[in-house]
Amino acid sequence: MTSAHSQPTNPVISQSSIQETPDGRIPVGKTMPGEQPMLSVQNLKKVYHTDGGDIEAVRNLTFDLPKGQLACLVGPSGSGKTTLLKCISGLMAPSAGEVTLHGQKVTGPPKSMAVVFQEYGRSLFPWLRVAENVELPLKNQGMDKAARKEAVEQALEAVGLAHVPKSYPWQLSGGMQQRVAIARAVAYQPEVLLMDEPFAAVDAQTRADLEDLVRGIWKKLGVSVLFVTHDIDESVYLGERVIILSSSPTIIQEDVLVDLPAERDQLETRSSQRFAELRHHVYEQIQLAKKGFRPEDAVAMK
Amino acid sequence: MTYIRTFLHIVALPLILVLIWFVATLGEASFFVPTPQLLIETFFETWTSERFVSDVFPSLGRLMTGIALSILIGIVGGLLIGSFRWLRALLEPTLEFFRAIPPPVLIPVIMLLIGIGDEMKVSVIVLGAVWPILLNTIEGVRSMDEVLADTSRTYGMTKFNSVRYLILPSAMPQIMAGIRQSLSIALILMVISEMFASTEGLGFAIVQFQRSFAIPEMWSGIVLLGLIGVVLSFIFQLTERWVLGWYHGLREIEQSA
Repeated sequence: MTSAHSQPTNPVISQSSIQETPDGRIPVGKTMPGEQPMLSVQNLKKVYHTDGGDIEAVRNLTFDLPKGQLACLVGPSGSGKTTLLKCISGLMAPSAGEVTLHGQKVTGPPKSMAVVFQEYGRSLFPWLRVAENVELPLKNQGMDKAARKEAVEQALEAVGLAHVPKSYPWQLSGGMQQRVAIARAVAYQPEVLLMDEPFAAVDAQTRADLEDLVRGIWKKLGVSVLFVTHDIDESVYLGERVIILSSSPTIIQEDVLVDLPAERDQLETRSSQRFAELRHHVYEQIQLAKKGFRPEDAVAMK
Repeated sequence: MTYIRTFLHIVALPLILVLIWFVATLGEASFFVPTPQLLIETFFETWTSERFVSDVFPSLGRLMTGIALSILIGIVGGLLIGSFRWLRALLEPTLEFFRAIPPPVLIPVIMLLIGIGDEMKVSVIVLGAVWPILLNTIEGVRSMDEVLADTSRTYGMTKFNSVRYLILPSAMPQIMAGIRQSLSIALILMVISEMFASTEGLGFAIVQFQRSFAIPEMWSGIVLLGLIGVVLSFIFQLTERWVLGWYHGLREIEQSA
């Protein structure tokens, strides 16, 4: 890419490639051959039909998420991140293209997927206590009582909330409420965990703690995580890979490999040179996206 | 200390009213307005023993049956109508029509159709008391939080569990508001239904007293109706505090924030 004013010492590794798609030759995220990917998004398109005309939220997105990877989706505000996540989680049907999980087309919310929403206050059941909130999906699955109790205790322990099982969610702080939502997702034992800007509404310090919590849980469970955020620092700090989205109508701007060490630390990692380089690169791309630069223009110029 | 203060708040106005009444009826004795002493005396004479079993008991039974049926029909119907858009589109205009009909005008027709027994009286109560519950339940189901509904869907909640753990509790604040309105409607209709072709019941007894110029007895019946209303509302408040504890807690926190 063109960044004459700053030459990074180590080049950022881009995993995106150019593919022929129904919308012409555009960049796509990293894809894998055959049966390898756990979650695969193919030429996904979403158009909203409104009285004022059609709104194309997502134009064409293609990328794969391998088993056990933690990938961050980052994009300027209004870049269709939530739309994309709703399509992936089966809450919304795409207008074209498809999402597959283990090769199976997603048509409704899949069993092996859990979603953590941004609005923790609205995603927890206010009439159920903390432990009951975590327990409900398990109860729904027909898990027996003793196993449920153990799973709930472990999940609450994992997010550091073992001391408040009997509280109501609304009696807790925002950060703690989001921990409850994470505990509920963890107890559900999903293969894919989708997180839709989960920390956008909590304060900076809580946010740092929660980021480390997500890294910890991801490592412990070996679950695949797709983490949507608008925070560039967060995406680089958390992910093994950052998928940068263009402005709406959305395509993939770039798919960047985050080659930071696996052990991350809020102080060490964030002050490392590589972190700065990656952050710089992602920031630059987002700025380009905001200005309306579209990768397909660059393709056309080549 | 706070208990004493609460108690004083509750009894202050009734005591003042009784005092005014006492002073106003001191000198001359009006035939139509008994003194407080006479009323209390008559109250116990009239409504204890025999009459309680023959009139109050059947009335209360029909009132409770009517309320229970209204709650059941209102909630089940409301859940169904609120859940299906097509059903709502189909029924809502018709429901508005039936809701607008005052149940007392239907009493003669109902008497012809199902007789003059308890069924008629309970039907009249239900026909009036079901509406606030039904319409509030529909509204409660419709105003479901989208994020919460999405959450339930992503966890693959079964139909039954969705109703039990999501839809019903989330509509409960509105349902309770509907029940509160229905209680007073049910009490009114209980009395009215007993004024037609009856041989027992509170409404019947009060009309009998009126027609036989037993004025203190008539007043004592009216007092009894008021007391039943107070007790109903008290039971309702206790139930509501228990069922909607989470809701009041949540509201308190939202308001203080």
